[in-house]
Formats: sequence, C-alpha cells, structure tokens
Amino acid sequence: MILASVTANNFRNLEPDPITFHAQTNLVVGRNGQGKTNLLEAIYFLATTKSFRTPRLANVVRFEQPSVFVSGALQRQRIEKALSIGVEAAESRRRVLMVNEESVSLHDYLAAMSVFAYSAARLEILRGAPEERRRFLDRGVASINPAYLQDLIRYARVLRQRNALLQSGSHGSLEAWDAEFAISAAAVQRARAAYADELSAAFAEIVARHGYHIRDLRMTYRPSGVDDPARVRRLEIRARTSLAGPQRDNIEFAIDGRNAAEVLSGGEQKMIVLLLKFAKLELFRRRHGESALFLLDDLDAELDLEILQNLLTRLPSETQLFATSAKEPVVGALQSGPHRRLVIEKGRVIDSRDFS
Amino acid sequence: MTAPPLANLINEFTKLPGVGGKSAARLAYAILKRPAAEAEALAAAILEVKAKIFRCSTCNNMTDVDPCAICTDARRDPSLICVVEEAFNIPTIEQTRDYKGMFHVLLGALSPLKGVGPQDIDVAGLVRRVRSGSIREVIIATNPNVEGEATALYIAQQLRPLGVRTTRLAFGLPVGGDLEYADQVTMAKALEGRREI
Repeated sequence: MILASVTANNFRNLEPDPITFHAQTNLVVGRNGQGKTNLLEAIYFLATTKSFRTPRLANVVRFEQPSVFVSGALQRQRIEKALSIGVEAAESRRRVLMVNEESVSLHDYLAAMSVFAYSAARLEILRGAPEERRRFLDRGVASINPAYLQDLIRYARVLRQRNALLQSGSHGSLEAWDAEFAISAAAVQRARAAYADELSAAFAEIVARHGYHIRDLRMTYRPSGVDDPARVRRLEIRARTSLAGPQRDNIEFAIDGRNAAEVLSGGEQKMIVLLLKFAKLELFRRRHGESALFLLDDLDAELDLEILQNLLTRLPSETQLFATSAKEPVVGALQSGPHRRLVIEKGRVIDSRDFS
Repeated sequence: MTAPPLANLINEFTKLPGVGGKSAARLAYAILKRPAAEAEALAAAILEVKAKIFRCSTCNNMTDVDPCAICTDARRDPSLICVVEEAFNIPTIEQTRDYKGMFHVLLGALSPLKGVGPQDIDVAGLVRRVRSGSIREVIIATNPNVEGEATALYIAQQLRPLGVRTTRLAFGLPVGGDLEYADQVTMAKALEGRREI
C-alpha cells in the first residue's frame, strides 16, 4: 500500500496543507523542533488511531484547539482509499473514523491501513522488561491475524478474574476458572509460538542477505507453562496470584548464550531491532500480498552512513518508507535510489524535491 | 443552577442502569412537562412493584405469587430446567415459545473482580432442586462471555455427581445474517458446534 498524501489539522505544530509523498522513499529533513517526527506521528495516528510517542492522545492536539483531524489518500492494489480520523480533545474524546467518506468501526478502520514504526523507544525490545517483548510479539501476531486481539482480550479478562479470585483467598470455583484460563491461554500461546517461529526464520534470512557482519543472534520464544499443575496450584494459592501463563512468557535474544542487550553495542542493537522490524514487514507482505508502510524516526542516530545505506536497501520490496533526519549532509550523502526529500520548517513543508 | 428537587430527581435516575447524566436530565424534564396525574401514576407503579413483586422461592423469578406462574404451570415439563443469570433473561427465552420447561435464576454470574463467588449466586438452590425432583436435563443458558462460561463450568461440576444430563446453549451464527459479517471467534465456535444435516 502507498500513502499518496496526508493533511493534518491541529496535529501538534503541523500546518493544514496537503503533503504529497513519493511512492518509495520519503526523507523528511529539518532542524530540531520543526515537525519532522510530528509528520511521522500523524501518519501513524492516521493508520492506528494512536501515537508512538505518547499514550495521552490529548497531547497531539494543537494547544487550545477543540479537536484534531488527519486525513490521507491511500492506494491499495490500485484502489484509492480516503481515510480520516477526527478526535475531540475534550474529556469525551469522541472519535470519528471514516473510510471513503463513510463512518466505520474501529475494527474496519484499522484493517484499511497498516504501518510499522521504528523510533529509539523501540530499543526497549532488547533492553526493557519482558512485557516490551510480549507487546512486540503481540503486535506482530495481530498484524497478520487481526482476530488475535480478541483472543488476547479474552485471556486478559480471565486472568484478571482468576487473580482476583486467588487474591480473595477463597477458591471454591478455582477449577471452573482454570478451565477458562487454560483454553484462552492456549489460544494466545499457540499464536505467539507460530509467529515467533516465522519471525525468527524471516529474521535469519534477512541477516543472511545482509552484507555486514551481525553476530549470531538467536531469538527464542519461552512460553510460561506448567509441568505439575497441582504443585503450581498450591504455590498460586499461597502467592495469591497466577504464576504461569502468557502473562509470564518471554522472548530471549541471545548471542552465544548471553543476553543480547548486555553484549551488543548501541549501534548493533539499533541495527538488530531494525532488522526485526524488517522481518515483521516481510511476514506482513507474505500474508497480505502487499507491503505495509514503514516509519523510521531519526534514522542516522547511532548508525554509520555505510551501514545505514546497506540497511535501507534491505527493506522488503515495495515498502514505502518515511524517514526523518536532522542532519542534511547525511541525507545528502545517502544514495537510496529514487526518493523525495521534504524539508520541514515550523510545521510546513517548504521544499519538496525528487531525486532519482 | 438546577433547583434542588429537580437535581434530586435527576440524581435518582442516574442510579438506573444505562442512564447517564444527560438521559437522566431529559427524563426529569419530560416528567415536569407532563400532567401531574401521569407523574402520580408512575410513582404509584414504582411503589407497587416494590410492594407486590418478590422472588419466587423455587426459581428466583420475579413474581407476585409464590411459587411463580411458570413453576405452577401444569402444561410445562417439570423435568427440564433452564438456568439463566438474571430474571430478565427469562422473557427472551419465553419469546421463542419453543421452550416448555422450568427456569432457575442464578441472580448473577461468577466474577471474582466484583466479589461474586459461588456462595453469592444460587447454585445451591439449583442443586437442591435437582436432588429432590425428577429432573431429566439442566440447560445452562448463562451469557457467552468469560464470566458466563466459568459459571457454566462451575455448575456442571456441581451437578456431575448427581448424574443429571447437563447441556450448554449452542454458540453460532446469527440467523438471517451473512457469513462474511461473522467475527472470527463466533465463526470458530460455530464450526466447533456444527452438526449433521
């Protein structure tokens, strides 16, 4: 899919002029604080109804404005789709999602456009708590199987109920909840395991094609299961909480048996997280027969020009890329094939030029 | 500033399920507009249900006679019990006109998050009924959500030693709908519950 243009009204500092994009590569440059990342965030918001920078949506609405509205023209297999999202800043957060001028449900809206995003915060996949890695895996599963979200919601609800029961100290009905727990947990873990397998295979292929040396990284999904249910049950009654299940799953990234985050340099970590994102994009492309968009914030931080150039040529085919950089010389030196360079200043694109 | 008696009425309305602040205000203003006799009739109707309606001592249905009209209906099959979460689920099943058995109202579903455990719903009453009478089958018609499913499993466990046939309502596709609109969980349940034709 290709995003042809986007228009943002009251989205942070962005001016409400339509911005048109290149079908392959868009490099957004400008000094700090001019709105480069805001533009990427607006695209992410248009696709996901969320921000990749803040959980508080009110933050993206321009100061003292009642609402935010972003619209875009998307091409999917030569069919044009007009998407728009409007959200009120007021406490009600009323939201209107439209595809081709018709109001649609969140489920249908999310299916219309798909993006993957990389920003520095994503390094938490390697460095952060297991929760970050579970979220990384869950987003991936949902990208190729939207029904997975319902499995996750169901499981989370059973887990909350079961924990409340264990917390209360009376467990006459524990067995009834255990059955529900086992069914919903199995659905989540089956989906995670299948996706982790596919992802690590795709990752290995991408690494193999990659010209640069990347140490032998192993990604292993470790589902939290139970060998001896009776014993775990006794421990759970004492601990007053669930001790096994998808909420304790982990994904390990290891190099020669050691935790990748402790062995790799900052640059290597960024490279690996990017390649993992590429693997996710690849799985998406295989499943849907078309590519998702890729947003890459602050592309040159921590990476050498040469590595960067090599990386960008490894993007799965037909992926439309949107990348930001504060360093114009870096972007100038990049020979990344046909691309458009958008110079942004005070929330407005002041120069847009194509290079071939 | 809303006059205190009006604010008081609005506040009372907001205590009802599905009524928010705005709906409550609309209801209150609507009552103000209408003749006094209508307001009195409404107030009398509310007082009357509270005075005359109580729970059936057998099935927990709302009734003005004990046992209720369903429990004493000689045309019904007393060996069949349909278990529902709330009394307001009964009219939905009655509308089908196909069900000719008895009911049992649990008065809720298991929900540890809301502090509802097995002792807070009337499973004991159901077990007593199954034990004392000649019950052939118990149909569990709790809601098809997480809480309803756990409740159904719990009831099934409690009834197992009694040897009574216990069934669960089928899950599946809405009649008159199109397959393409079914969500994937419903579709999976429908596949699981398929039958020979």
